[in-house]
Amino acid sequence: MEPIVRFEAVTKAYGKSVAVDALDLDIAPGEFVTLLGPSGCGKSTTLRMLGGFETPNSGRILLAGRDVTRLPPNKRDVNIVFQDYALFPHMTIAKNIAFGLELKGLESAAIHRRVGELLDLVQLGDYAARMPHELSGGQRQRVALIRALAPDPQILLLDEPLSALDAKLRGQMQMELKAIQQRTGKSFLFVTHDQEEALTMSDRIVVMNAGRIEQMGTPEALYGRPASRFVASFIGDTNLLDCSVVSADGPRVALDWQGVAITAARGETSPAPGTRARLAVRPEAIRLFPAEPDTANRVRGRVSRRVFKGNHALLSVEVDGRGQIEALVDPLDLAVPTEGEVWLGWRAENAVVLRD
Amino acid sequence: MAAGRTLDGPKAALSAAYWVFVLYLLGPLLLMTAMSFKAAEFIAFPIGETTLDWYAKVVQDGQFLSAVGYSILIAAATTLFATVIGTWIALVVSAESLWLRSLVFALACLPAVVPGMIQAISVRIFIATLDVPTGTGAIIFGHTLHAVPFVMIMALTRLRTMPGSLVDAARDLGADPVVAFLRVTLPYLKPALYGGMIFCALLSIDDFVRTFFLGGYRTTLPMLIFARLQGGMSPEINAMATLVLLTTAVVGLYAEQLTRKARTR
Repeated sequence: MEPIVRFEAVTKAYGKSVAVDALDLDIAPGEFVTLLGPSGCGKSTTLRMLGGFETPNSGRILLAGRDVTRLPPNKRDVNIVFQDYALFPHMTIAKNIAFGLELKGLESAAIHRRVGELLDLVQLGDYAARMPHELSGGQRQRVALIRALAPDPQILLLDEPLSALDAKLRGQMQMELKAIQQRTGKSFLFVTHDQEEALTMSDRIVVMNAGRIEQMGTPEALYGRPASRFVASFIGDTNLLDCSVVSADGPRVALDWQGVAITAARGETSPAPGTRARLAVRPEAIRLFPAEPDTANRVRGRVSRRVFKGNHALLSVEVDGRGQIEALVDPLDLAVPTEGEVWLGWRAENAVVLRD
Repeated sequence: MAAGRTLDGPKAALSAAYWVFVLYLLGPLLLMTAMSFKAAEFIAFPIGETTLDWYAKVVQDGQFLSAVGYSILIAAATTLFATVIGTWIALVVSAESLWLRSLVFALACLPAVVPGMIQAISVRIFIATLDVPTGTGAIIFGHTLHAVPFVMIMALTRLRTMPGSLVDAARDLGADPVVAFLRVTLPYLKPALYGGMIFCALLSIDDFVRTFFLGGYRTTLPMLIFARLQGGMSPEINAMATLVLLTTAVVGLYAEQLTRKARTR
């Protein structure tokens, strides 16, 4: 299927600092893609280039097969949900939503109908005549969303739209956004620095760092098989173990962690025997045993700290002078030892060798 | 309980000073207003019999009415030009790069701080060099020059509170730069512009020095009052001044309220 959006070697620099470096990215019709990364990684610049508010220094941006690289924002079939919503303060909610439709030259009857439909889509039918400042943050968020959807863009761009909401409302809005995306069948390009938002909503996550794509894939793939140290530590918590490579034949790698033999998945790397390699193991992949288990990887340690977090507990285990390993345990499972001497065990496929 | 009402020395002094100041400000105005109701010709106490005759005389005074009309005409033209130019400069200043912004801003503010006399003389010399005659056009030019910085500062203050994303959103939804300005930026500026316009009008109506240097044969209101004063004080002038005071005070307070609303919203 032809992509709805295609970035071809797009580069944007401000003076000497490169914000986006030779970015290649395709977005399929109906796909929910998230650009995830820390501030300054180039994700917002990428979105603004697609919106038409920044012009790339080189490369091309195609929208439904048409080159839009140098078109102004009003000549592109994309719409943005802005971080601060950017509702026009002097217009009613209905007028705000109608703005884009009027500029498209729709008749007033058609505009009226479409505004009504969209307000119903987000259950704000009674708010048509209100002014933006009379609405709560969550309601303004919804209005910003349907105002951007109103002109029926090829793709909707969302620039950290949930960052101003409190945690509970943010969770609700994530569900609602995803539902609306699925109902309308539109492609969404969502920009955030919040890994939880990215994991919850996306079909595909593109992790960006310093203007480049660090890794992309489904939420499950990124979380379970991070390719680099950056991705492993940016998405979720992880144990990083400094190892040396013993042998690397087939999909499995044999490693040595300060005298402990470890077997791990190769990941996206090709480690050579004798070199150093960094291993990532998620805390929830590590299980605790009272006696030596028969898992592929196992080490002995002593619980040094236990933090109760409601539905789980985080244990820090000191492994005889080699360092700390963190494990996530079920506080209701009485068979799991929570203090003193314990054994840690994890499966080979849950440990991934990282690219540096 | 009783401690709540003890005498606070510094506080009492401050409040006394405040009332002295209010009296000092309002005293002359009150005196002027009071004398406008006096039946006798001489401006002195006691007032004795009161009358509204002076007001009746003022509103039937052809010279006064023509001066008021002329002042309003000049004020209206000044307001129109100053608002357009001031807003335009504010937009330029808010959009330009940093060093250019400070330069344009400083230059645009200059007419507000240059002494009126100096400005009047310089404009007079300027129009003489260009062979422009003194008169209505010259007065409007001088008044506009003076009023532009005030409009600019008010518009700029409002523009600074405007999120950049508003214009972006308008562009994103299909507006070209002109439509975005007319439908988003201008309505956003509206309260500040109303305030600025009223301020312009008041500045122009009040102006004496620039009008004196740039005027022709027709007199504006301040010039008429000045000319009348030469012939000696009379309660009719008091009545005239009281009417002007009342009108400007009402309009000025309304403008102040408008700009305050703009600031809080």
